[in-house]
Amino acid sequence: MSVLELEHVSKCYGQLNEHVALCDASLKIEAGEMVVVWGMRRSGRSTLLRIAAGIEKPDTGVVRFEGQDLRARSSRALGEGIGYCRKRFSPSEGRLVIDQLITGLIARGLPPTLAGSRARAALERAEIGACATLRPAELDYAEAVRAAIARSLAFAPKLLLIDEPTIGVDLLARDGILMLLHSLAQQGMAILASTGESTSLSGARALTLSDGELYGQPARELATVVPLRRTG
Amino acid sequence: MQSAVHWALLGLVIERPSYGYELAHRFEHAYDGMLQLSGFSYVYTALDTLLCRGMIEEISGTRTGRQPKPRYRATAEGVRSYQERLIAQMREDFRRSRLFARQLAVFAQEPEIALDVIERYGQACLEEAGETPVLAPAGPCADPVSGLAARLVSEERRLAMGARLPWIDYARREFKALAAGRIQPR
Repeated sequence: MSVLELEHVSKCYGQLNEHVALCDASLKIEAGEMVVVWGMRRSGRSTLLRIAAGIEKPDTGVVRFEGQDLRARSSRALGEGIGYCRKRFSPSEGRLVIDQLITGLIARGLPPTLAGSRARAALERAEIGACATLRPAELDYAEAVRAAIARSLAFAPKLLLIDEPTIGVDLLARDGILMLLHSLAQQGMAILASTGESTSLSGARALTLSDGELYGQPARELATVVPLRRTG
Repeated sequence: MQSAVHWALLGLVIERPSYGYELAHRFEHAYDGMLQLSGFSYVYTALDTLLCRGMIEEISGTRTGRQPKPRYRATAEGVRSYQERLIAQMREDFRRSRLFARQLAVFAQEPEIALDVIERYGQACLEEAGETPVLAPAGPCADPVSGLAARLVSEERRLAMGARLPWIDYARREFKALAAGRIQPR
Protein backbone atom coordinates (compact mmCIF):
# COMPACT_ATOMS: atom_id res chain seq x y z
CA MET A 1 0.00 0.00 0.00
CA SER A 2 1.38 3.39 -0.99
CA VAL A 3 1.78 6.08 1.65
CA LEU A 4 0.25 8.64 -0.70
CA GLU A 5 -1.82 8.04 -3.78
CA LEU A 6 -3.39 10.62 -6.05
CA GLU A 7 -5.75 9.15 -8.59
CA HIS A 8 -6.87 11.27 -11.55
CA VAL A 9 -6.92 14.42 -9.48
CA SER A 10 -8.06 17.68 -11.06
CA LYS A 11 -8.42 21.13 -9.59
CA CYS A 12 -9.48 24.39 -11.20
CA TYR A 13 -9.74 27.93 -9.92
CA GLY A 14 -11.54 31.02 -11.13
CA GLN A 15 -15.17 31.93 -11.48
CA LEU A 16 -15.44 29.87 -14.63
CA ASN A 17 -12.84 27.31 -13.57
CA GLU A 18 -10.68 28.85 -16.28
CA HIS A 19 -7.38 28.33 -14.46
CA VAL A 20 -6.42 24.65 -14.41
CA ALA A 21 -4.10 23.99 -11.47
CA LEU A 22 -4.12 20.20 -11.72
CA CYS A 23 -5.35 18.11 -14.60
CA ASP A 24 -5.91 14.38 -14.20
CA ALA A 25 -2.81 14.00 -12.04
CA SER A 26 -1.94 10.56 -10.74
CA LEU A 27 0.94 9.83 -8.41
CA LYS A 28 1.98 7.15 -5.91
CA ILE A 29 4.63 7.59 -3.25
CA GLU A 30 5.95 4.72 -1.15
CA ALA A 31 7.54 4.73 2.29
CA GLY A 32 11.21 5.65 2.09
CA GLU A 33 10.83 7.42 -1.21
CA MET A 34 11.62 11.03 -2.06
CA VAL A 35 9.67 12.50 -4.94
CA VAL A 36 10.39 16.00 -6.21
CA VAL A 37 8.10 17.79 -8.63
CA TRP A 38 9.66 20.56 -10.70
CA GLY A 39 7.51 23.24 -12.28
CA MET A 40 7.53 26.85 -13.39
CA ARG A 41 5.60 29.45 -11.41
CA ARG A 42 1.85 28.87 -11.56
CA SER A 43 2.36 25.36 -12.88
CA GLY A 44 0.22 23.93 -10.08
CA ARG A 45 2.98 22.62 -7.82
CA SER A 46 1.74 24.31 -4.63
CA THR A 47 -1.80 23.14 -5.32
CA LEU A 48 -0.47 19.61 -5.68
CA LEU A 49 1.06 19.78 -2.21
CA ARG A 50 -2.00 21.34 -0.58
CA ILE A 51 -4.23 18.67 -2.09
CA ALA A 52 -1.81 15.92 -1.02
CA ALA A 53 -1.94 17.34 2.50
CA GLY A 54 -5.72 17.42 2.53
CA ILE A 55 -5.69 21.19 2.99
CA GLU A 56 -7.58 21.58 -0.27
CA LYS A 57 -10.06 19.21 -1.82
CA PRO A 58 -9.75 18.17 -5.46
CA ASP A 59 -12.62 18.93 -7.85
CA THR A 60 -12.41 15.39 -9.14
CA GLY A 61 -10.29 12.37 -8.31
CA VAL A 62 -9.23 10.73 -5.09
CA VAL A 63 -6.35 11.32 -2.66
CA ARG A 64 -5.47 8.44 -0.36
CA PHE A 65 -3.12 8.46 2.60
CA GLU A 66 -2.16 4.92 3.62
CA GLY A 67 -5.04 3.63 1.55
CA GLN A 68 -7.66 5.82 3.20
CA ASP A 69 -9.50 8.49 1.24
CA LEU A 70 -8.47 11.85 2.71
CA ARG A 71 -12.08 13.05 2.49
CA ALA A 72 -13.03 10.32 4.96
CA ARG A 73 -10.35 11.32 7.47
CA SER A 74 -10.96 13.85 10.16
CA SER A 75 -9.74 17.41 9.83
CA ARG A 76 -6.88 16.37 12.14
CA ALA A 77 -5.30 14.28 9.35
CA LEU A 78 -2.71 17.02 8.96
CA GLY A 79 -0.35 16.46 11.82
CA GLU A 80 -1.42 12.84 12.23
CA GLY A 81 0.77 11.11 9.72
CA ILE A 82 1.03 13.99 7.27
CA GLY A 83 3.51 16.78 7.88
CA TYR A 84 3.13 19.91 5.80
CA CYS A 85 6.13 22.21 6.20
CA ARG A 86 5.09 25.77 6.75
CA LYS A 87 8.10 28.04 6.45
CA ARG A 88 6.45 31.01 8.10
CA PHE A 89 6.61 31.48 11.84
CA SER A 90 3.82 33.32 13.58
CA PRO A 91 4.67 35.36 16.69
CA SER A 92 1.48 34.04 18.27
CA GLU A 93 3.00 30.54 18.27
CA GLY A 94 5.94 31.47 20.43
CA ARG A 95 8.84 33.85 20.83
CA LEU A 96 11.66 31.35 20.27
CA VAL A 97 12.18 28.65 17.68
CA ILE A 98 11.64 25.88 20.20
CA ASP A 99 8.43 27.55 21.41
CA GLN A 100 7.11 27.37 17.86
CA LEU A 101 7.42 23.59 18.00
CA ILE A 102 6.18 23.17 21.56
CA THR A 103 3.05 25.26 20.98
CA GLY A 104 1.88 22.97 18.19
CA LEU A 105 2.54 19.85 20.22
CA ILE A 106 0.70 21.17 23.28
CA ALA A 107 -2.20 22.16 21.04
CA ARG A 108 -2.34 18.50 20.02
CA GLY A 109 -2.73 17.51 23.65
CA LEU A 110 0.84 16.63 24.65
CA PRO A 111 1.92 17.48 28.22
CA PRO A 112 4.43 20.36 28.25
CA THR A 113 7.40 18.24 29.41
CA LEU A 114 6.89 15.66 26.70
CA ALA A 115 6.29 18.44 24.14
CA GLY A 116 9.60 20.05 25.14
CA SER A 117 11.64 16.87 24.76
CA ARG A 118 9.91 16.01 21.48
CA ALA A 119 10.63 19.53 20.15
CA ARG A 120 14.31 19.37 21.12
CA ALA A 121 14.69 15.93 19.49
CA ALA A 122 13.08 17.22 16.28
CA LEU A 123 15.40 20.24 16.18
CA GLU A 124 18.41 17.96 16.70
CA ARG A 125 17.22 15.65 13.92
CA ALA A 126 16.96 18.64 11.59
CA GLU A 127 20.52 19.57 12.68
CA ILE A 128 19.41 22.87 14.09
CA GLY A 129 19.50 22.18 17.81
CA ALA A 130 21.82 25.14 18.34
CA CYS A 131 19.11 27.53 17.12
CA ALA A 132 16.45 26.39 19.59
CA THR A 133 16.64 29.53 21.69
CA LEU A 134 16.90 32.00 18.82
CA ARG A 135 13.98 34.05 17.59
CA PRO A 136 12.69 32.92 14.19
CA ALA A 137 13.61 36.32 12.73
CA GLU A 138 17.24 35.63 13.61
CA LEU A 139 17.41 32.51 11.41
CA ASP A 140 18.92 32.63 7.96
CA TYR A 141 17.03 30.99 5.05
CA ALA A 142 18.62 27.58 5.46
CA GLU A 143 18.04 27.56 9.23
CA ALA A 144 14.43 28.66 8.74
CA VAL A 145 13.84 25.74 6.35
CA ARG A 146 15.40 23.32 8.82
CA ALA A 147 13.26 24.76 11.63
CA ALA A 148 10.17 24.32 9.46
CA ILE A 149 11.15 20.71 8.79
CA ALA A 150 11.75 20.19 12.52
CA ARG A 151 8.29 21.58 13.29
CA SER A 152 6.82 18.86 11.07
CA LEU A 153 9.16 16.17 12.37
CA ALA A 154 7.96 16.79 15.92
CA PHE A 155 4.73 15.04 14.91
CA ALA A 156 6.63 12.03 13.54
CA PRO A 157 4.90 12.12 10.15
CA LYS A 158 4.93 9.25 7.69
CA LEU A 159 4.59 11.69 4.82
CA LEU A 160 6.43 15.00 4.68
CA LEU A 161 5.30 17.67 2.21
CA ILE A 162 7.52 20.64 1.53
CA ASP A 163 7.17 23.47 -0.96
CA GLU A 164 10.41 24.89 -2.37
CA PRO A 165 12.82 23.54 0.25
CA THR A 166 15.84 25.32 -1.19
CA ILE A 167 14.44 28.60 -2.46
CA GLY A 168 16.52 31.53 -1.24
CA VAL A 169 19.00 29.19 0.40
CA ASP A 170 22.71 29.84 -0.04
CA LEU A 171 24.27 27.60 -2.69
CA LEU A 172 26.53 25.83 -0.20
CA ALA A 173 23.77 25.31 2.38
CA ARG A 174 21.34 24.01 -0.26
CA ASP A 175 22.77 20.49 -0.46
CA GLY A 176 22.77 20.15 3.31
CA ILE A 177 18.99 20.56 3.28
CA LEU A 178 18.62 18.06 0.45
CA MET A 179 20.82 15.60 2.31
CA LEU A 180 18.63 16.02 5.38
CA LEU A 181 15.51 15.23 3.33
CA HIS A 182 17.20 12.21 1.74
CA SER A 183 18.27 10.94 5.14
CA LEU A 184 14.66 11.21 6.38
CA ALA A 185 13.55 9.18 3.36
CA GLN A 186 16.23 6.61 4.09
CA GLN A 187 14.71 6.20 7.53
CA GLY A 188 11.39 5.30 5.94
CA MET A 189 9.59 8.62 5.57
CA ALA A 190 7.82 9.38 2.29
CA ILE A 191 8.69 12.85 1.02
CA LEU A 192 6.99 14.95 -1.60
CA ALA A 193 8.65 18.25 -2.44
CA SER A 194 7.95 20.82 -5.09
CA THR A 195 10.59 23.03 -6.61
CA GLY A 196 11.38 25.54 -9.29
CA GLU A 197 15.10 24.70 -9.07
CA SER A 198 16.52 21.78 -11.00
CA THR A 199 19.23 21.21 -8.40
CA SER A 200 16.63 19.94 -5.92
CA LEU A 201 15.80 16.97 -8.15
CA SER A 202 19.08 15.22 -7.41
CA GLY A 203 18.77 11.70 -6.09
CA ALA A 204 14.96 11.80 -6.11
CA ARG A 205 12.23 10.42 -8.34
CA ALA A 206 11.82 13.53 -10.43
CA LEU A 207 8.63 14.68 -12.13
CA THR A 208 7.60 17.87 -13.84
CA LEU A 209 4.34 19.75 -13.71
CA SER A 210 3.27 21.86 -16.66
CA ASP A 211 -0.11 23.58 -16.90
CA GLY A 212 -1.38 21.23 -14.20
CA GLU A 213 -0.25 18.07 -15.99
CA LEU A 214 2.26 15.75 -14.34
CA TYR A 215 5.05 14.26 -16.46
CA GLY A 216 7.45 11.54 -15.42
CA GLN A 217 7.06 8.26 -13.61
CA PRO A 218 3.81 8.36 -11.60
CA ALA A 219 4.87 5.36 -9.51
CA ARG A 220 8.12 3.83 -8.35
CA GLU A 221 9.51 1.31 -10.78
CA LEU A 222 9.87 -1.95 -8.95
CA ALA A 223 12.75 -4.26 -9.75
CA THR A 224 11.82 -7.26 -11.85
CA VAL A 225 11.36 -10.35 -9.71
CA VAL A 226 13.57 -13.11 -11.04
CA PRO A 227 12.47 -16.56 -9.84
CA LEU A 228 15.21 -18.64 -8.30
CA ARG A 229 16.24 -21.47 -10.55
CA ARG A 230 16.12 -24.87 -8.96
CA THR A 231 19.34 -26.79 -9.46
CA GLY A 232 19.75 -30.56 -9.64
CA MET B 1 43.38 15.51 -32.78
CA GLN B 2 39.76 14.37 -32.71
CA SER B 3 39.76 11.52 -30.20
CA ALA B 4 38.02 12.46 -26.94
CA VAL B 5 40.04 9.72 -25.23
CA HIS B 6 43.33 11.32 -26.31
CA TRP B 7 42.25 14.67 -24.87
CA ALA B 8 41.04 13.05 -21.67
CA LEU B 9 44.40 11.29 -21.24
CA LEU B 10 46.21 14.58 -21.84
CA GLY B 11 44.01 16.09 -19.10
CA LEU B 12 45.03 13.36 -16.68
CA VAL B 13 48.73 13.94 -17.43
CA ILE B 14 48.21 17.68 -16.82
CA GLU B 15 46.52 16.83 -13.51
CA ARG B 16 49.44 14.65 -12.42
CA PRO B 17 52.42 13.07 -14.23
CA SER B 18 51.89 9.31 -14.60
CA TYR B 19 53.13 6.21 -16.41
CA GLY B 20 51.03 4.28 -18.93
CA TYR B 21 49.45 1.56 -16.80
CA GLU B 22 48.68 4.02 -13.99
CA LEU B 23 47.03 6.35 -16.52
CA ALA B 24 44.75 3.55 -17.72
CA HIS B 25 43.52 3.00 -14.15
CA ARG B 26 43.12 6.71 -13.51
CA PHE B 27 41.19 7.04 -16.77
CA GLU B 28 38.69 4.34 -15.78
CA HIS B 29 38.16 5.97 -12.38
CA ALA B 30 37.92 9.57 -13.64
CA TYR B 31 35.77 9.03 -16.72
CA ASP B 32 33.54 6.18 -15.58
CA GLY B 33 30.28 6.41 -17.49
CA MET B 34 31.55 9.24 -19.71
CA LEU B 35 34.35 7.76 -21.84
CA GLN B 36 35.61 4.25 -22.39
CA LEU B 37 39.01 2.82 -23.33
CA SER B 38 38.92 0.16 -26.01
CA GLY B 39 41.68 -1.55 -24.03
CA PHE B 40 44.53 -0.70 -21.66
CA SER B 41 47.03 -0.92 -24.56
CA TYR B 42 45.24 1.96 -26.27
CA VAL B 43 46.78 4.25 -23.67
CA TYR B 44 50.23 3.60 -25.16
CA THR B 45 48.96 4.44 -28.65
CA ALA B 46 47.49 7.68 -27.32
CA LEU B 47 50.69 8.53 -25.43
CA ASP B 48 52.70 8.07 -28.65
CA THR B 49 50.38 10.49 -30.44
CA LEU B 50 50.64 13.06 -27.65
CA LEU B 51 54.45 12.70 -27.64
CA CYS B 52 54.63 13.16 -31.42
CA ARG B 53 52.52 16.32 -31.17
CA GLY B 54 54.73 17.71 -28.42
CA MET B 55 51.88 17.85 -25.93
CA ILE B 56 53.60 15.63 -23.38
CA GLU B 57 57.19 14.66 -22.66
CA GLU B 58 58.89 11.82 -20.87
CA ILE B 59 60.36 12.77 -17.50
CA SER B 60 64.02 11.96 -17.70
CA GLY B 61 65.35 9.37 -15.29
CA THR B 62 62.06 7.52 -14.90
CA ARG B 63 62.86 4.75 -17.42
CA THR B 64 64.81 2.65 -14.92
CA GLY B 65 64.70 -0.82 -13.34
CA ARG B 66 63.82 -4.21 -14.79
CA GLN B 67 60.33 -3.04 -15.70
CA PRO B 68 60.80 0.58 -16.79
CA LYS B 69 57.83 2.80 -16.15
CA PRO B 70 58.52 6.04 -17.98
CA ARG B 71 56.43 8.85 -16.55
CA TYR B 72 54.99 11.58 -18.68
CA ARG B 73 54.21 15.22 -17.97
CA ALA B 74 52.42 17.83 -20.01
CA THR B 75 54.33 20.44 -21.98
CA ALA B 76 53.29 24.11 -22.10
CA GLU B 77 51.99 23.40 -25.61
CA GLY B 78 49.93 20.50 -24.25
CA VAL B 79 48.31 22.68 -21.58
CA ARG B 80 47.54 25.42 -24.10
CA SER B 81 46.01 22.97 -26.59
CA TYR B 82 43.95 21.39 -23.81
CA GLN B 83 42.55 24.82 -22.83
CA GLU B 84 41.60 25.52 -26.44
CA ARG B 85 39.96 22.11 -26.72
CA LEU B 86 37.81 22.75 -23.61
CA ILE B 87 36.45 25.98 -25.09
CA ALA B 88 35.89 24.41 -28.53
CA GLN B 89 34.05 21.51 -26.90
CA MET B 90 31.64 23.87 -25.15
CA ARG B 91 30.96 25.64 -28.43
CA GLU B 92 30.22 22.26 -29.98
CA ASP B 93 27.71 21.58 -27.17
CA PHE B 94 25.95 24.91 -27.91
CA ARG B 95 25.82 24.02 -31.60
CA ARG B 96 24.36 20.58 -30.82
CA SER B 97 21.59 22.12 -28.67
CA ARG B 98 20.66 24.52 -31.47
CA LEU B 99 20.70 21.65 -33.95
CA PHE B 100 18.31 19.63 -31.79
CA ALA B 101 15.88 22.54 -31.54
CA ARG B 102 16.04 23.19 -35.28
CA GLN B 103 15.54 19.53 -36.14
CA LEU B 104 12.56 19.27 -33.80
CA ALA B 105 10.90 22.15 -35.66
CA VAL B 106 10.52 19.98 -38.79
CA PHE B 107 7.48 18.50 -37.04
CA ALA B 108 5.56 21.78 -37.10
CA GLN B 109 2.98 20.13 -39.35
CA GLU B 110 2.91 17.00 -37.19
CA PRO B 111 3.07 18.34 -33.66
CA GLU B 112 2.05 15.02 -32.08
CA ILE B 113 5.33 13.51 -33.24
CA ALA B 114 7.25 16.46 -31.80
CA LEU B 115 5.36 16.10 -28.52
CA ASP B 116 6.37 12.44 -28.36
CA VAL B 117 10.05 13.41 -28.87
CA ILE B 118 9.70 16.10 -26.20
CA GLU B 119 8.18 13.62 -23.73
CA ARG B 120 11.01 11.18 -24.27
CA TYR B 121 13.60 13.91 -23.97
CA GLY B 122 11.86 15.14 -20.82
CA GLN B 123 11.88 11.66 -19.32
CA ALA B 124 15.59 11.29 -20.11
CA CYS B 125 16.24 14.63 -18.38
CA LEU B 126 14.27 13.59 -15.30
CA GLU B 127 16.19 10.33 -15.08
CA GLU B 128 19.48 12.21 -15.45
CA ALA B 129 18.38 14.68 -12.75
CA GLY B 130 17.34 11.91 -10.38
CA GLU B 131 20.56 9.98 -10.92
CA THR B 132 22.76 12.96 -10.09
CA PRO B 133 23.91 12.54 -6.52
CA VAL B 134 23.75 15.17 -3.81
CA LEU B 135 27.35 15.38 -2.68
CA ALA B 136 28.62 16.37 0.71
CA PRO B 137 30.06 19.90 0.79
CA ALA B 138 33.79 20.31 0.38
CA GLY B 139 35.78 19.21 3.37
CA PRO B 140 39.09 17.59 4.20
CA CYS B 141 39.53 14.88 1.60
CA ALA B 142 42.23 12.31 0.89
CA ASP B 143 42.08 13.11 -2.82
CA PRO B 144 41.10 16.79 -3.24
CA VAL B 145 41.31 16.64 -7.05
CA SER B 146 38.78 13.82 -7.48
CA GLY B 147 36.54 15.41 -4.81
CA LEU B 148 36.55 18.70 -6.69
CA ALA B 149 36.00 16.93 -10.03
CA ALA B 150 32.99 15.02 -8.66
CA ARG B 151 31.44 18.22 -7.27
CA LEU B 152 32.00 20.18 -10.48
CA VAL B 153 30.54 17.39 -12.62
CA SER B 154 27.55 17.01 -10.30
CA GLU B 155 26.83 20.75 -10.20
CA GLU B 156 27.14 21.06 -13.99
CA ARG B 157 24.63 18.22 -14.48
CA ARG B 158 22.21 19.77 -12.00
CA LEU B 159 22.39 23.35 -13.22
CA ALA B 160 22.27 22.37 -16.90
CA MET B 161 18.94 20.73 -16.13
CA GLY B 162 17.76 24.12 -14.91
CA ALA B 163 17.92 25.33 -18.51
CA ARG B 164 16.62 22.16 -20.16
CA LEU B 165 13.44 21.72 -18.12
CA PRO B 166 12.04 25.21 -18.84
CA TRP B 167 12.95 24.74 -22.52
CA ILE B 168 11.00 21.46 -22.59
CA ASP B 169 8.08 23.22 -20.92
CA TYR B 170 8.25 25.98 -23.52
CA ALA B 171 8.54 23.59 -26.50
CA ARG B 172 5.67 21.49 -25.18
CA ARG B 173 3.43 24.58 -25.02
CA GLU B 174 4.37 25.60 -28.56
CA PHE B 175 3.62 22.19 -30.05
CA LYS B 176 0.47 21.72 -27.95
CA ALA B 177 -0.80 25.01 -29.31
CA LEU B 178 -0.01 23.80 -32.83
CA ALA B 179 -1.74 20.51 -32.15
CA ALA B 180 -4.81 22.36 -30.91
CA GLY B 181 -4.78 24.42 -34.09
CA ARG B 182 -4.58 27.63 -32.11
CA ILE B 183 -1.62 28.96 -34.08
CA GLN B 184 -0.30 28.31 -37.54
CA PRO B 185 3.38 27.53 -38.05
CA ARG B 186 5.18 30.48 -39.61
